[in-house]
Amino acid sequence: MRKSLLNDAKALAFTLPALVPLMLFWFIPLGYVIYLSFMEWDFMNPVKTYVGLNNYIRLFDNPQFYQALRVTLLFCIGSVLPIIIIGFALALLFERKMKGTAIYQTLLFSPWVTPTVAVSIVWSWMYEPKIGLINLILSWLGQDPIRWLEDPSWALVAVLIVTIWKSAGWAMIFYMVAIRNVPPELSQAAELDGAGYWGKLVHVTLPLISPTTFFLIIVQLIQAIQAYDQINVLTQGGPAGSTRTLLYMYYQSAFTSYQIGEASSIAIIIVLGCLILSGLSFIVARKTVHYN
Amino acid sequence: MLSKQLVTRSFRQLLMAALSIAMAFPFFWMVSSAVKTNDEIWQFPPTLWPSNPLWHNFKEAWLAAPFAQYVFNSVFVASMIVLLQVLNSSMLAYAITHMKFRLSGFFTTTILIGYMIPATATYLPSYLILNELGLLNSYAGLIFSNCVSVFSIFLIRQAFLQVSHELVEAGQVDGASHFRILWTIIVPITRSSFAVLALITFIEQYNNYFWPMLITNDPKLQLVSAGLRSFFVEGGAYGLKWPLIMAASAMTIAPLLLLFIFTQKTIIHSVNLSAGATKG
Repeated sequence: MRKSLLNDAKALAFTLPALVPLMLFWFIPLGYVIYLSFMEWDFMNPVKTYVGLNNYIRLFDNPQFYQALRVTLLFCIGSVLPIIIIGFALALLFERKMKGTAIYQTLLFSPWVTPTVAVSIVWSWMYEPKIGLINLILSWLGQDPIRWLEDPSWALVAVLIVTIWKSAGWAMIFYMVAIRNVPPELSQAAELDGAGYWGKLVHVTLPLISPTTFFLIIVQLIQAIQAYDQINVLTQGGPAGSTRTLLYMYYQSAFTSYQIGEASSIAIIIVLGCLILSGLSFIVARKTVHYN
Repeated sequence: MLSKQLVTRSFRQLLMAALSIAMAFPFFWMVSSAVKTNDEIWQFPPTLWPSNPLWHNFKEAWLAAPFAQYVFNSVFVASMIVLLQVLNSSMLAYAITHMKFRLSGFFTTTILIGYMIPATATYLPSYLILNELGLLNSYAGLIFSNCVSVFSIFLIRQAFLQVSHELVEAGQVDGASHFRILWTIIVPITRSSFAVLALITFIEQYNNYFWPMLITNDPKLQLVSAGLRSFFVEGGAYGLKWPLIMAASAMTIAPLLLLFIFTQKTIIHSVNLSAGATKG
């Protein structure tokens, strides 16, 4: 008995170096933000006023909230799907051995390691409306120039292109590993059954790599919900709120308009959104994902 | 038959080359724009590479803002965070995998939940807590507030689960303390996971922007991303000095591209590990 107590104490001591900061910067803040979402406060005032569910009620009345929700959903779909599809397509192209694979991989993966702020600045130069590289290429295709970052119907696309460019190579690496792990016997068996390239792809490869797809979707969704750097550099949520996601709205109401209550209620919605998404994807995964 | 194969193969090769070049083209464009004159950069159509590259633009950009300070801050803060994360992730992971104790299940669940909470959502309350602790605007705040990562704990836990418990028991029979067993037996066996942790964390923290920017307003404490961004807005006057802005961006990106080229294998290996870490 005494020995096991001593063992417990020792083990607890081992957890402390991680547990203390984990508590201070993860779990206490989570509780604190729930508390703040029921308060009205502006940072300066020493007194916080309890307002019950008012922050939430006001948020659900705020058209800006629905706009941000819509932008967030568009951002999630518009970044996650292309990243996964492009990543998978690139990985398929690498399926057979070829010269230069290592160099191609390095080039395709390199955007992922670079700072988002720096590459967003580079992209904002390429999006320059008069002489930017993108509009130059469009002009070769006979397309009129687009004011990428100032046109509300294009700004989100511009931010999404940078986001996809940065992560597609990363998804590719995951898929390359997954495809390599597909047992060759299964492909051969499918071939004997008369399956062609696409038949094998749909009936053998896709089901077998579904855990990877599932993992990439979750990670990319959570990243998309938390996207900040590229929005901050390229558009700052504008023009006319067309790139203001929930996270960006949260940041603006907390640190530029000092509406701590409103900001906290948005934070809670973001957390709930992530939890629901994770939960949903676990349910979907249990039904469809093929673990062997 | 053979020639058809040859055609598909060369087509694939061409396609891959074209795609890779397109993907990396922004980096080339950045360097090419960095060595142009202010007149040349506004020329239409633009030149692919200036006839007379102005390499001294890099020096000028470097001196136009305290970039040496920014780079030092990023490297210092990121390295300290890596050290702390190696220490606390390995200790926590060791406790929940090899020191059978009553709360180990509880800890594992807590960490799983932590994995699903988006860090950015807690930035406001974390800011307030950091303020209470008097750690805003300090290296200590930058380091301490990032010194634990649920991802790192997960990664190390996954590696430790694969280490046979008999090794720990053998160490105990020899009279070694848990601390000693962890550092002399377990960590050396799982060093490839630690290499991954160190690289991924270093890159992430070197690039980190949103959170460090929130908790510091002293320019002397800015990390490279925030420093570059203020140079872009103020020094670069939002696009009036594109060559200098591109030169500055290139200098922030270059160290990471170099690091990546030398450690590519480990980083790509991290993909296997992080895919495994989620199956938990």
